[in-house]
Parts: sequence; structure tokens; C-alpha cells
Amino acid sequence: MKSILVIDDEPAVRKALQRVLSKAGYAVQVADNGPAGLAALAIQSVDIVIVDIIMPDVNGVDTIRSIALRFPEVGIIAISGGGNFGPAQYQPYAIQTEAYLASAAIAGAHAILTKPFKSADVVHAIAKVANRVAGAETLN
Amino acid sequence: MKTSISVRMAMFAIAMHAIVLPALYFGFSLVVTRSDTDLFLQHVRTLSRNLAEELELGDALGSPTRVRNLLDQAVINGDGVYAALMDNGGEIRSELNSPGVKWLGRQDFTFRPGRNQIYFISLPISRPNHTAELRLGFDEQPIAEQIQFAMHRILWVLVVYLCISLTAAVVWGRSLSRPVMQLQRASRKIASGSYAQSMRVKTGIMELHDLGSDLDSMRNELVGVNQRLQIEMTEKMRAQEHRRELELRLRNRQRLETVGTLAGGIAHEFNNVLLPIVLFSEAALAESSKSTAIHDDLQEILNQAYRAKEVVQKILTFSRGAGAPELDSIDLKPVVEEALLLFRALVPATVDVRVELTGPYPLVRADPVMAVQMIMNLCTNAYQALQHRSGSVTVGLRHTVEQVDSEAGGTQRGMVVLFVTDSGQGIEAETLPRIFEPFFTTRGVGEGTGLGLSVVHGIAETFGATVSVSTEVGQGTTFNVHFPVVASSGVAEFSNEAVAGGSI
Repeated sequence: MKSILVIDDEPAVRKALQRVLSKAGYAVQVADNGPAGLAALAIQSVDIVIVDIIMPDVNGVDTIRSIALRFPEVGIIAISGGGNFGPAQYQPYAIQTEAYLASAAIAGAHAILTKPFKSADVVHAIAKVANRVAGAETLN
Repeated sequence: MKTSISVRMAMFAIAMHAIVLPALYFGFSLVVTRSDTDLFLQHVRTLSRNLAEELELGDALGSPTRVRNLLDQAVINGDGVYAALMDNGGEIRSELNSPGVKWLGRQDFTFRPGRNQIYFISLPISRPNHTAELRLGFDEQPIAEQIQFAMHRILWVLVVYLCISLTAAVVWGRSLSRPVMQLQRASRKIASGSYAQSMRVKTGIMELHDLGSDLDSMRNELVGVNQRLQIEMTEKMRAQEHRRELELRLRNRQRLETVGTLAGGIAHEFNNVLLPIVLFSEAALAESSKSTAIHDDLQEILNQAYRAKEVVQKILTFSRGAGAPELDSIDLKPVVEEALLLFRALVPATVDVRVELTGPYPLVRADPVMAVQMIMNLCTNAYQALQHRSGSVTVGLRHTVEQVDSEAGGTQRGMVVLFVTDSGQGIEAETLPRIFEPFFTTRGVGEGTGLGLSVVHGIAETFGATVSVSTEVGQGTTFNVHFPVVASSGVAEFSNEAVAGGSI
């Protein structure tokens, strides 16, 4: 059974993903921020991490970068609510969803989903990333 | 009291003549009176002597008839009024004697106008046998009248002279005051703001002519200064107008952006809310049996959640539109000045903000508001690179020609380079490739968002500009934004042929 770690600051999102993924047959762990997620990863090995990009204190991109660096075997799925965020002095057009999703990809995310997505979408993404990781392992 | 030049001249002439004219009059009358008197006396004395000599000749005294004839002649010839010969107690009188004239023997001729007087002469006639006395009297009236007439004439001549000299004084005064008044009129016109009138005057007076020339060169200088001032004022007003326009656009843009940011933030929150709704509804739907009321209700919730997603997508599209760039051919110089105005207000005095703007610079394609924000971001980054130590941030523009490589081969293009240099720590070689990534920051939590330089990169791409960095650890960093010059901005862009001189 594949194990999954969900890192998101939104309790409702964590709860919903836990419900859907448990039902789909995965072992699901949750963490409400990046450092907590990294700590959980250090304790117990996980196949796939689902990371929210926009989180307070340590943002998702940094978290993804750390995970990719320290646990290269772990598959990473970045999720984001999209929209714009950040201090008001920066224009919305410059930091668009695409821009930071792209930076998440650069940081090491294997798949990217924008909220809200369907249960089927996340299950499909997990399967794809798991295969990719498996493929990488067989290659090795 | 203030009086005009001609009045002063006339007053001076009158004052002079009040002394000179009476003196002249009395001098002339003295001379005329004396000379006429002398002539008169000489005449009557000669006449008297001649008569006496004739009476002494021969035996004239012997014939009373002869004596009377001679006496009559003397009266007729000399305008006499009385003639008599006293001889041995007897008296022979001219029969032409004026009646009522008595022998008084007075000889002092004095001119007294309006008084009849008679000048008497007595001459002794000596003969060997006896002596006689010739008595003659002449009327002073005619000569007195002659003198009086002469004095009247002198008076008239002097009056005419006085009139002529007063007129001359007034005319001369006018000729003096005319150029002065001309200068006065011209300077009054200048005072009222009209500089067209020349200050040169036509006058024979050297000082006034020179004064006019000097004043005219002063006026020319004034006209030049005035024109320069007007040009400067127009330029200043145009610059102010430009700045106001820029400020207005900036404020409008910021308002729109606030709305956009707000909308974007709401969209983000909504998506986070929608995700659990979608996921829980789907889970519940999967567990409910089809064609039940609960199944339909859950399907409806899901449909509405998808609809909400569409609405959020629309809000996002709107929030992006709010910040859409308005590209235009603009001059970067006022943009840099505006950004520096904002930046100076933000940094402490320990930061030495330097400007290197010479200009004029050719136009480039950019949105002034976005350009201001790009410069602000570069400046903020430069300030943060100083890490709270004192140092300098230099911002400037440079017009250069750069080699641009393209598929068709290299061409040279005019570029305006915006540079922001800091005297900070420089960038490490391993971090250099990542500085434009979103969220990448070397600063601590709360110091920087890691978005500033990615914004700069994004804006530069929007403008068709490129960003380059040169850095040395410990020395500082320079960010250059290379703006291609707009072709129609009048600044020559050199093609390969033009530069190489047909070496292809």
C-alpha cells in the first residue's frame, strides 16, 4: 500500500484529501506546514508527498526544494489554490499562478494540480507520479 | 518741486536776463545820451563861435542891420530860440527870437525827458575900441526827443532779444527733453511688459545717445533673459504636467491593483474552500445509491461547486486584467526620477542614493507605472543587499549600442540601459543563476519575499527588455535592464551594413 503525506495549512483541505485518498486505498499522513512535513518524512518513509505551494512562514516551493534534495526517491505533487497572493506592492500579473507553479516544477515537483480538483484528478496524478518514481527505480 | 527741462531752461533764461537786460539797457542809454549830447553841444558851440568870429570881422558891429541879419541866420541855422548882442549897454536882438524866452545864462545840458529847456551860450566879442557880448539860446527839445526815441528803440530791441532767447531756451530745452522723454516712454513700456520698443534715441547729445545705446543693450539682455525664463518655465510646467500624469496613472494603477490583489486573494481562499466541498461531495456521491434524493442533492452541490469554480476563474481573469501593462513609447528619465522620489522616502539617511542621469535619452517601449515598480524593486533589492550597513545605491540610465544576435545574423541596436548598483556584499556564484526564481531569497524570514527580482524579470519580459547582472563578492552588484530603443524615436539605429561599410 502506497503511503502519502499531505502538507497543507488548510485543515479542511487536509481532512478532505485524507478522506478521499484513504478511500482510494492509500495510507495517508498529514502535516500543517513544511517543517512538520519534513520531520514526518524523516521519521517514516513515504511514497508521495502532496504539498500546498502557498503557506505561511515556509512556502511550498522551499518545502518542495528541501524534499527533493533530502528525499529524492519521494514523488512530489504540488497543489495550489491559484489566484494571486503576496504583498500588495507586487503586481498580480507578475506573480501569477503559472509563475509559481512553474517555480514549483523547477524546485522538483513531479505533478501540479490547481484547486479545486476532482478526486479522480488527484488519484490519476498519484498513479502517474508513482509510476514515474517506479520507472526511475527500475532504471536505476 | 519737479519741473520739466524746458521750463527749467526758460526759468534760467529769465533769471539771467533779469540781471543782464537792465544792465544792457542802462549801459546803452548812457552811451546814446552822452554821444547825442556831445554832438549837440559841439554843434551849438561851433555855431556860436563861427557867429562870434563873423561879428568880430570888419566893421560888422557898426551896422545894427548887419548884426541882426547875422543873429537871424544863427537862429535859423542852429535851431536857436534866442540870439542877442549886448553892446555898450544897448541890446540888438534877433527878430526871430521866440517870445517869452528870457536870458538865464544857464549852460548845463541835462537830458530830462518831458521838460523844455534852453541851452544858453555867452561869448565875448572883442574889438580894439569896444567890447560886446553875444548871447545865444538853443532849444534842447529836439535832441532830447532824439535821445528818447533812441532809448525806446534800444528797449524794443532788448524786448525782441528777450523773446528770442526765451523761445530759444524753450526750444533747446525741448530738444534736450525729447530724447529723455523717448527713453522714458520706452522704459515705461518695458516696465509694463512690452520689450519690443528700441531704447536707441536720435539725438546730437553724446551722453544721451550713449545712454540710449546702453539701455538698449540692457533691454536686449532683458529680452534674452525673459525668453530663457519663459522657455524654462514652459519646460518646468511640461515636466510637472508629465509628473502629475504619471502620478495619476500610478495611483489609478495602484487602486486597480489593490482590487486585483484582493480579488486574487479571495480567489485563492475560495479555491481552498471549494476543494473540500468537491472532494467530500464526490465521496458522499460515490457512497449514495443512484436515483435517490440524496444522490441528486449531492450532484447538485457538486454542480454548484463547479459553477463557483468558474466564477472564481472569472475573478482571476479580472484581477489579471487589472494589472495589464499599457505599453507606450516613453522617456525613462522622468520614470527614474519618480521612482527615486519614492525610494528616497523609504530608505534611511545612511544609504547614499546617487543618480546618474544626463540625457536626453531615446524613447523605449514600456509602461511607466510598471517601470516605476521595476525600478523600486531593483532599488529595494539593492538596499537589502547593503544589509543595514551604510553604503550607496546608484541608479542611472545609459544610451549605448549593443550587438544583438538573431537568426539573420548580428545587428547593432540602440539600447537604453537602466542600471542599479549597490555597494553591498555581491552575489555568490552558486546563487546567481537562481536569483530570478520566484520565492528565491537569501534574506531571513520577514526581510524579503523572494518575489522582487522575479517581478523585475517578469516586467522586463513584458517590455521586451532583458536583465543582466554583474557582481563581485564583497564589492557589490549591478543590475542592468536593457531596453531596445523605439525605431521611430529619432535616434539612429545602426544596421550591420551601415557599420561595416558594406563588408558583407
